[in-house]
Formats: sequence, C-alpha cells, structure tokens
Amino acid sequence: MRYIVILLFFICLFVFPAKSFGNDIESRVKAMEETLKAQQKTIEEQQKIINELKEQIKTVRTEEIPKIEEKVAAPKEQAGATGLFGGSALTNPYISLVVNTYAYGSDVKESELKTRGIPGYTFLGNEDKKKGFNLESAELFLFAPVDPFFNAYATIPVKEDGAELEEAYFVTTCLPQGFQVKGGKFKSAFGRINGQHPHAWDFADSPLIYRAFIGDEGLIEKGAQFTYLPSLPFYTILGAEILQGDNKYLFGADASPGLHAYTAFAKSSFDVSDYSTFLFGLSMVTGKTRTDTIISENSQFRGNSTLYGAELTYKWKPSKKKSFILQSEYFQRRQSGDLYDTTLATINRLTRQQDGMYLQGLYQWERWRFGARYDVLDLFNNDFVLAGSRTDFGRRPWRATGSVEFNPSEFSRIRLQYNYDKSARDIFNPASPSANNEVFLQFIFGIGAHAAHPF
Amino acid sequence: MRKLLMIFIIFCLYSTPALAKLNVVTTLPWIGSIAYSIGGDKIKVTVLVKANQDPHSIEAKPSMILAARKADIIMYNGLDLEIGYLPLLIESSRNPKIQPGRPGNLDCSNFVEVIEKNAASDRSMGDVHPLGNPHYHISPKNMGRVAKGIAKTLSGIDPENAQIFEKNLALFNEKLKKKQNEWASKNIRGKKFVSYHKYFEYLASEYNFRIIGYVEQKPGIPPSAAYIEALIDTMKKTKPDSILTIEYYCNNGIDLLTKRTGVKSIIVPHEVGSTSNINDWFTLMDAVFKSLE
Repeated sequence: MRYIVILLFFICLFVFPAKSFGNDIESRVKAMEETLKAQQKTIEEQQKIINELKEQIKTVRTEEIPKIEEKVAAPKEQAGATGLFGGSALTNPYISLVVNTYAYGSDVKESELKTRGIPGYTFLGNEDKKKGFNLESAELFLFAPVDPFFNAYATIPVKEDGAELEEAYFVTTCLPQGFQVKGGKFKSAFGRINGQHPHAWDFADSPLIYRAFIGDEGLIEKGAQFTYLPSLPFYTILGAEILQGDNKYLFGADASPGLHAYTAFAKSSFDVSDYSTFLFGLSMVTGKTRTDTIISENSQFRGNSTLYGAELTYKWKPSKKKSFILQSEYFQRRQSGDLYDTTLATINRLTRQQDGMYLQGLYQWERWRFGARYDVLDLFNNDFVLAGSRTDFGRRPWRATGSVEFNPSEFSRIRLQYNYDKSARDIFNPASPSANNEVFLQFIFGIGAHAAHPF
Repeated sequence: MRKLLMIFIIFCLYSTPALAKLNVVTTLPWIGSIAYSIGGDKIKVTVLVKANQDPHSIEAKPSMILAARKADIIMYNGLDLEIGYLPLLIESSRNPKIQPGRPGNLDCSNFVEVIEKNAASDRSMGDVHPLGNPHYHISPKNMGRVAKGIAKTLSGIDPENAQIFEKNLALFNEKLKKKQNEWASKNIRGKKFVSYHKYFEYLASEYNFRIIGYVEQKPGIPPSAAYIEALIDTMKKTKPDSILTIEYYCNNGIDLLTKRTGVKSIIVPHEVGSTSNINDWFTLMDAVFKSLE
C-alpha cells in the first residue's frame, strides 16, 4: 500500500507537472515564435534603413567630397574671386590658340594665282595661298585686366615663316560717361568684317572689296581710338581713330613722316524683336598714300585716299538651334595723286573713284551652317583716269561663293567652300581661264580660354 | 549743324534719368526675380537673356551693351556660364561702375556652395565648367544665400534704402522657409531620372533623388547613335522614373529613348518666364516640383 501511494505520488509528480510543463512549452514556443517574428521584423526594418543609408551614401559621396574641398578652397562672399575672368588669372593672362588650316584647290595654274590681281584695283594676287595643304596660322591670343583702369590684349599669329605681332593694345575701363580709349596696334573699327579675326570670318576668305581696297587682312594699324557710347534709348556708338597709316594698299608706311591716316565712324543698332537685331553703320578713313600695289611694282602712286564704308547686318537668332544672318558692306574709294613710273621715269596724274559691295547670308541649323555670298566691284563707280584719259578694264569683277560648315562643338569648325571667281576680268588676262573655280576645305579649332561671342 | 548739336545734347540730357531708382541689370531672368524680391520698387530691373535662350550661346548684342552702359549694378550667374558674352559686354559698356572688382559687379555664385568642381578637366570632356556646375538656381538652399548676398550688395550701393532691403530679405526668407516645408513633403525622394543636361544636380542632392544618366553624350555635345543605344540598355536595366529635359535643348534622341524604353520624358520648367504663369522664382520652383512629382 505504501508502495502504491509512493507510486501514485510519483505518477502524480510526473504526470501533473508533465502536463503543466507541456502547456508551458507550447506557450513558450509561441512566445519565442512571436519574439522571433518581431526580431525578424526589426532586422528587416534595420536592413531597409541600412539599404537606404547605403543609397544615400552613394549619392552623397560623389557630391559631398568636392563640396568639402570647395568650402576650404573658395573664399566666399568676396566679389570677383570666381568672377568674370575666371579663377586664378593673377599670375597668368588668359591664353587661347586658334589653329586655322585648309586645303585649297583651283583650276588656275599655281604660277598664275600669284599674279592674278584685280585689274584697275591691284595687280597683286593671292600671295600665300598654295594648291594643296596650307597652314593659315596658329593664332595666339592673350588677354587680361592690367589693373582697375586697363584691359590688355595681344594677338600673335604664328605662321610657318615666323610669328608676327598682329595686335597689341590696351582698352580703358575706367572712363566715365561712356568714353573709351584704345591704343597700341589694333584692327580698325572701320567697316564690319575688318574687326574680325580670320578664324571668325563667315567664309574662308575675305570679301573682294577688302582685297581690292585694303587687302585681305584689312586695316590693322598702330594708333589710338576714341569711342563714345551715349546713353540713348537705342545703341549708337561714335568713334574716331588716328592711325599711322601703314596699310600697303590704301596708305603705305612711307607716305608721309609721322601718322597720316584718320578714321571716323558711327554705328547704330536696334532690336526688331527679342530675337532679331539690325546693326548699321557708316565709316570713313582718309590719309596720305604712297603705294606700289596698283599697276606694277615699278609704278608708285603718291597722293591722297579716302575710303567710305556703309554696313548693314541683320541677325535672327531665336534659339541655339537655328539662326540667320544677312550682312552687306559697301565701300567707295576716292583717290587722287601722281603715278610715277620708275622704269620710264614718267609722272602722270591718276584719279580713281571705284566702289563695290558684298551681300552674304548664313543659315545655321543645329551644328550645320550654310552660307552664300555675292561680291561685286565697279558697282556704281569705275573711274580710273590716268593722265586725263579714262581706262576701261572691261567687265565688272564679281564672285559667287557657297559654303557648308559643320561645327562639332563651339571650339571646332569644318568648312567646305566653293568660289566662282571672275574678279580677274577677261580682257587683261586673255591667257588665263575666265573664271577661277576655287575650293577650300578648312579646319579651325581653338584651345584655351573661352572665346567671346561678339555680335 | 549747331541746331543739330543742340538737339543731340538735349536728347542726351533727357535720356539720362534722374537718380531715383537703382538700375539693376541681370543676365538671367531668375536673378532678376530674386533682385526684384529684395529691391522692390527701389530698383529697376533689366534682364538681358530670355528664358528660352541657352545662356551658353548668347552673343553680346548691342542692345545688351547699351543696357550695361546704363547699369548701376550688373548681377550674373558666374561659374563661366556667361563667359561667351559677359566679359565683352562689360568692357564694351564703357561703364566703370560694373567693371570686375567694383561693387556694381555681382557674381551670384560667390554665395553658393558649388558642386562638381573639376579641378582636372579638359574640353575632351565637352564644354565642362571647371569652376563647378553653374545651374545652381534650381536649389532652395542656395537661393536663400543668393538673396542674402544680393541684399547686402544693394545695401552697400544704396545705404539709404538698406532697411527696406533688409525687410524684403526677411519676407523672402519667411516665404522660403514656408515653401521649403511644402516642397520637402513632395514625393520625389529616392526617384531615379535620366537628364538631358547636368541641370538638376543641386536639387537632386538637396531632395535626395538620383540622376542616373545623361542624354547628352558630354556637356554641350549632342548624343551619337551608339551612345543612345548604350543609354537605352542602361535605362532598361535601371528603370528610371522619367527623362528630364528643358525647353531649349535639342531634343535629339529623347523621342527615340521614350519609344524604346517606355520611359516618359518631362520638359521641366527651368527659368522664370519659361511659361507664362511662372512669374517669379517661387512659382518656378513650384512648377519644377510639380513636374518632378
């Protein structure tokens, strides 16, 4: 009996607790499951947060680092530090180099190209252009403010046979009331294309009126320029220049001791709409002349010359994608003096009143640009009066040009141009073909400081 | 002749206005908007560039030179964005007040935390701006700083009205704070975009969305066919929310991208005045956020 009681006791001991124990395990497992679930949830949430943070770090990493560098490097709230002329121009001026190179083809013999002038205007032909590959120049530009009163510029085209100092001048920045003085050697403000560098021309070559009256390169003179921009409701600029008068076509370095050429110009502009603008102007340049570019090297002209110019530009530029420019210039030259023939030792009176113009249009569509130009001389005046008798040089010199450009970026340009050139006239060059069919394939590319976009 | 000269002189006198309002000339419309918020009726604002013109390719038009000639202060974006025309414009203006280094020459980027400064870059990378990303105006954080800088500059030039400028700045900041809260609640966090140009980088870092690719092959250079193909592959893998572009960029390739990937493109308003109802910088930002959402 005692054993039975003990047994029962043990059974009880085993069974009841076992039962209650069993209950306990179930609840415990449940509880554990719940905590596990909860933990899993928190882990998932944490993982989410970690992922998000990772993403954030990714985006932040690329931008935060330069931000910190920049905080250290750039002095803030100090005008001009990253300003107009960039960051660290104190020790170095801004420098750019523009390489202008082209391949040239023509159906005129190479020997004739050199002597193929414009009869009545100049006997000089194209001196530099050769069939095949040509290097026009590698043009070096330097510019920087000198001090708070002046900016300085220099243009140094380096050609195969050496460098020349084409321009070197200062411009004032401190004069009040819209006045400005420029001094040194610079491109005259006479006319429109005259102020542009060859690489910025709209065509590979300059218009006939430039070739005939002032040469391909135009009026680049030592001297001083005074301009005045009055505060009017529309843009008007008035100016005058006193120049040395070195231009070999119009003046000549030996024409007179000291400076001997003067220009005056007035230009005005107004916007027809937000995207289209007219610019028009009148210019004149006058001075003493001593040149041997007219008939031959052996005849020298001494006298006075005045060149009048009128210009008109219309520009439509609704967006970066497309634009259209229509531009024209008219030149008229009046000249009188004596023509010395050094071989015959004769002197004859020569007066010339001649004129000409060009009209050109350029249409740009995205990176392409298409151009057309018409040149003509003897337009209204063709007086060449030697010793009282008028010389007739024959038909009007004229030229038609078409071009296609592709501009891969703002800093490079590829241009294909065709000229049908009848400027040599037929009557004086019966041996040569009546027209010069010229083709240019030009490459222009600029490196260094960003070039300005003048109007 | 004498009569003509007299008329000319009278004309000149007549056209020189009395020194009443400060003549503020700004290059971009958004600068004009901020300047007006601070200057109010104490300044006259002239904006040189139109909203839909690409500021990279502007020429120094004579009418702009004339406006700069008459300016008491010129405010510009800086970071070389106006490098093509502004140096020329300022020199040709013949106006000593706005020459570099003078108080009337205000480069707004001086007040900005500039991103993407590429110390080592060359133009084989396209028309990069080594001074940093110049499109900082789509950034509320930076605009607060610019407004402060403009107020300080205006007060320096016209101390008589300094209190008014301070008051206007406080009003501007108050509105900015309110608007920033509103914009922060917009659902653009974590979104992924493809952008035509590096135009939204400031906003992306400020509001935590990502620009995963660019339609432009390199800054300022339109994409080639091969580049577009590669971009299509990336877009198929990464599945961006949309393609962002702005009005004046050539839409080269965007239609094709949309067609091939199914990702829609959005023309994001980018300037004050780019649509008729965007008349100041705040409405511009409202429109930007609305289009990104």
